[in-house]
Amino acid sequence: MELKAKGSTSIKALLVEDIGVCRLVLSTFLLRLHCEVTLAMNGKEAVDLFLEGKKFDIVLFDKDMPVMTGPEAIVKIRAMGETDVKMVGVSADDHAMEAFMSVGADLFVPKPMRMEALGPIIQEVINKKKNDMV
Amino acid sequence: MDYSNLRRQAASLKKGLFDQGHLDEQFRQVEDLQDEASPNFVEEVVVVFFKDSGRLISNLEQALEKYPRDFNRWDAYMQQLKGSCSSIGASRMKNECMSFRDNCGQRSVEGCMGSLQKLKREHAILRQKLESYFQVTLEAPPCQSWCHDRWIISINLLTDVCMFTMQLLRQVGPAGAATRPAM
Repeated sequence: MELKAKGSTSIKALLVEDIGVCRLVLSTFLLRLHCEVTLAMNGKEAVDLFLEGKKFDIVLFDKDMPVMTGPEAIVKIRAMGETDVKMVGVSADDHAMEAFMSVGADLFVPKPMRMEALGPIIQEVINKKKNDMV
Repeated sequence: MDYSNLRRQAASLKKGLFDQGHLDEQFRQVEDLQDEASPNFVEEVVVVFFKDSGRLISNLEQALEKYPRDFNRWDAYMQQLKGSCSSIGASRMKNECMSFRDNCGQRSVEGCMGSLQKLKREHAILRQKLESYFQVTLEAPPCQSWCHDRWIISINLLTDVCMFTMQLLRQVGPAGAATRPAM
């Protein structure tokens, strides 16, 4: 599912989250930050999107999901050569940071994600994209 | 209808939810996402939360029965519910989730069962309090339209008074000239 905000920054965000309320809140944060948001319900759906050739600037993963976890998906996506896309682990699990960072995530943010935390992350992605275009 | 009373009632209900620890700062983050384009966003989030949390609690109860003493599995289910509670700021529920997980770590079946009962109680209390709150907010129109109209009326009245006063002063002239007797 794709969601688009008005005045898009053209930052393509993929949100990988199986719990409905978490998906709703976090996707709305991303839309408020003018991202184009695609939703996936688990790690396998995320991997399938990359296999289809879809491109994203940032991917936010929950940790524990059915079928395939966030860290498992990161391993597979990085193995496809997707080294530029920013991978962010998001979890309420106190031990999740190690699980994400050890498999190549760029960043870990504990749940609940706040707008004040997400804003600078998206801005960094925007800045990087502008620099890469120059 | 006395909307100001209803609005006060809504504010009081909301304050109670925060003061009693049912909700924390994350709920305000959710409220900040509500705007004219999404006027019922908070209620929508709450509806989805109770749908998710009801399902997760049900899954956990089934797991407690089907997989006795499988603390890792029980913990995994509760981890999901904890994440869900965190997302909307359901603070007391989140604390009970953490208590349950602690009991899993201590491999205490009795402790887990006790935590689950407390969690279900908090779940029911939060649902009832939020339902009451939204019921009252539905009956009171949004302050944006009511207060906006009231302010517009006040500003217009003030403008009219200023215009009238200025016209009066032009007619009367400076205060000194008005009081000096004609020669």
